[in-house]
Amino acid sequence: MTFLHPLALVGLAAAAIPALLHLLERRVPPEAEFPPLRYLSEAERQNARRLKLRHLLLLFLRTALIALIVLAAARPLFPTQASGGSLHEPTALAVILDNSPSSGLVMDGRPALERLKAMARGSLARATASDRLWLVLADGVARAGTREALLGTLDSVGVSARRLDLTAAVGAATRLVDAEPLPAREVHVVSDLQRTALGSGRAAVPRGVRVLALAPPNQGAANRGVGTVRVTDGAVAVGIVGTPGAGREGGAAPVTLRIRGREVGRALATPGSTVSITLPLLGPGWWVGEVVLDADELRADDRRLLVWRVAPPARVAAPPSAGGGPFVGAALAVLEEGKRVRRGEGGTDVAIGDRPQAGTRVSVVVPPAEPALIGQVNRALAARGGRWRFAEAGTPGVIAGLAVPGISGVQVTRRYRIEAVTGDAGRGPGNDSTVLATLNGEPWLVRDGTVLLLGSRLDTAWTALPATPAFVPFVDALVNRLARGEAPVSEVEGDPRVEFRTHGADTIGAMVYGLDPRESDLTPAPPALVRDVLGADVLDGTAFAAARFAGAGRHDASALLLVLALVFALVELGVATRTR
Amino acid sequence: MADVQRFDLLDPAEVARFGGIEIVAQGVVEGFLSGIHRSPFRGFSVEFTEHRAYQPGDELRYLDWKILARADRLFVKQFEQETNLRAMILVDASRSMAWRGSPDRLTKRAYADRLAAALALILLRQRDATGLITFDDVVREVVPARVKAGQWARLVRGLVDTPDGLGTAAQAALVRLTSLLARRGLVVLVSDLLFDRELALTALRYLRHRGHQVIVLHLMDPAEAELSGPPEVRYRDPESAASVVVRPRELARAYQATVRREVDAWRTACRRHGIAYHHILTDMPFGMALRLLA
Repeated sequence: MTFLHPLALVGLAAAAIPALLHLLERRVPPEAEFPPLRYLSEAERQNARRLKLRHLLLLFLRTALIALIVLAAARPLFPTQASGGSLHEPTALAVILDNSPSSGLVMDGRPALERLKAMARGSLARATASDRLWLVLADGVARAGTREALLGTLDSVGVSARRLDLTAAVGAATRLVDAEPLPAREVHVVSDLQRTALGSGRAAVPRGVRVLALAPPNQGAANRGVGTVRVTDGAVAVGIVGTPGAGREGGAAPVTLRIRGREVGRALATPGSTVSITLPLLGPGWWVGEVVLDADELRADDRRLLVWRVAPPARVAAPPSAGGGPFVGAALAVLEEGKRVRRGEGGTDVAIGDRPQAGTRVSVVVPPAEPALIGQVNRALAARGGRWRFAEAGTPGVIAGLAVPGISGVQVTRRYRIEAVTGDAGRGPGNDSTVLATLNGEPWLVRDGTVLLLGSRLDTAWTALPATPAFVPFVDALVNRLARGEAPVSEVEGDPRVEFRTHGADTIGAMVYGLDPRESDLTPAPPALVRDVLGADVLDGTAFAAARFAGAGRHDASALLLVLALVFALVELGVATRTR
Repeated sequence: MADVQRFDLLDPAEVARFGGIEIVAQGVVEGFLSGIHRSPFRGFSVEFTEHRAYQPGDELRYLDWKILARADRLFVKQFEQETNLRAMILVDASRSMAWRGSPDRLTKRAYADRLAAALALILLRQRDATGLITFDDVVREVVPARVKAGQWARLVRGLVDTPDGLGTAAQAALVRLTSLLARRGLVVLVSDLLFDRELALTALRYLRHRGHQVIVLHLMDPAEAELSGPPEVRYRDPESAASVVVRPRELARAYQATVRREVDAWRTACRRHGIAYHHILTDMPFGMALRLLA
């Protein structure tokens, strides 16, 4: 048995009031003459037992009456198997509402999210003031609050663009509720339970935490969506995703490419396939397009944005005498063949060597082979207004950096530390300085105005990079993008939109927001898998509603106690008046 | 409405405000006798002498129905007043009699005095020799039974001269009284009977055995019949050191039952021994109390 308002039990001390009054009222009574004392003594003698019983009975009734009222005020709760009542033991409850994009699926004319919200509302509505509550949405944030606050939050929840990793969310939620010192702990998973929503591994459910999961529909709804869009070599590669083998909708569907609202290409694709749509000839600059599928029940994944830049290939010079090295030369040859760079035509946009080159827009500077030349290189850098310089030799390590895809994790055996002339190496000393890659936490690739500093020579004696497949794309990015100060076009999960990054008046990069392609696969996870991964009981709507707080279901006995108190009061009244 | 103004039917305490014992008793007796139009105690003080032929106008109650049935002739019984019948009124003057439950009522002793005086006056008027004995634990006043003029005044003086409640053991005096009543007659005991019933009954039985006609008037203040008072009170017996703490409200019913039992016990015991018993509350009009004796 527990109490909803345990502090009220302090009032039980009041149960001693009748006994105390009895003791305290033992004062000297007034005296009076009464001749027929013999009659009085006789009456008292004959009724002594009855009077004593009456006094004891009244004392008991009054004490019990106060105790019952105090107990009723404390709202005692008794465990019960039935969950029909609205009361239960104080429970730490985390409700995970999966409002990921897949919850926007329209079923029977209603978004699936409405059904999920109704179930989540049912869980929160049954909570009491003594419960500790959290609401976890697709963003993974556990919102703590009162029942009313969370119900308000729930009402305003819409379909999110974020995917929810249920495994991680359940793991976090169970840890959250497990940390609460309450008699019961539950996690309610209200989700469409996509198979793809189950992340890697298993949620470690602490002992004593109940995880209830709402069962998904028996069959996955048919769906297809634009999963990936990539611009390569004058064409757009479109990956179509969806629910595998989901009826007729699993067949080919028209894919349309639009640029600035105008349809520029069209193809047929089936879920799981990738189609290529040729881009028209476009002038230099940044372009935004979209790939669109015909509408189906899940509208969110029927459209995906793409951004790309059209620019002429960079004119590159990398003379071996200046430290370009054979690997750089070979890479440039490949790029030249692919028309990604030009060499020996007019001026030079980018020069790669062991010292800054005059007459070029951008110099890619690698350390000189001779340590004695470091000072000379540094002076040349300083002469160009450089804020970074080569320092002493650094320790070996692996490259880390997102600015250039593919080079992270590549081993470096020799390098020079690159240090800022005036501190603040993290951001560089000026607005034009950017650390593009690091090694052991120290700058390895730095953009300093019109100079790109590399901590190692692009030679296998210094780093394994020239021997990796990422070397040519690295050199491509180095001369075509990094040298121009461009950041890569990155894809971010979120509401579909494009955000450009600018530097001064130049656009140097873009972020394309879109949905996680895994959201398009609406295949439900089998209950056995859910049980295995989430440690949850998978229940249909009715069973889910019945099982909520079932382990902590309680019956409020206060009404019964008040009725009992009323009975006691009536008995007391009867004993006090009728037994005189 | 005229009856309501009669002294004998007024509230005893109200009547007492008109004057002393004499005035009150005379007023009560006048009212009482005018109300019944005949001597109420004829049976006590007259004796049958002879028969005579019925004359028109004779009261039918004196008709001898047995002769009528046997001989079919109308005869009336004639009575002769017995001038030497002796009536002794015994008034309990113990301490318990000097108590009243409310200032608006007479004490039991005051009520007893006035009732005794009225009774004596009635008896004397019908020429019965009437005497008085007052007692508490000892005999306080003795007025021998006489019928001569001034006897009533002596009786009243005897009542007045007896102080209120000095003694506490009335039953001892009651035993002694038996020796003072040598000649048989009427004995009227006016008391609250707050003494040992068996001892008192022994004395009364003895009187009865001696040929006395005994009447017991059991006086009781209404507050003694029904218990009331503050929530808790220590009641003390005025005649002894005994006391008891009670809660009148919770003992009232039991007390009332005890009093009823006690009164019933007295009534039953008296009836068993040929003793007339009357329970009189001190708020009862004197006329009604006297009518109980008629």
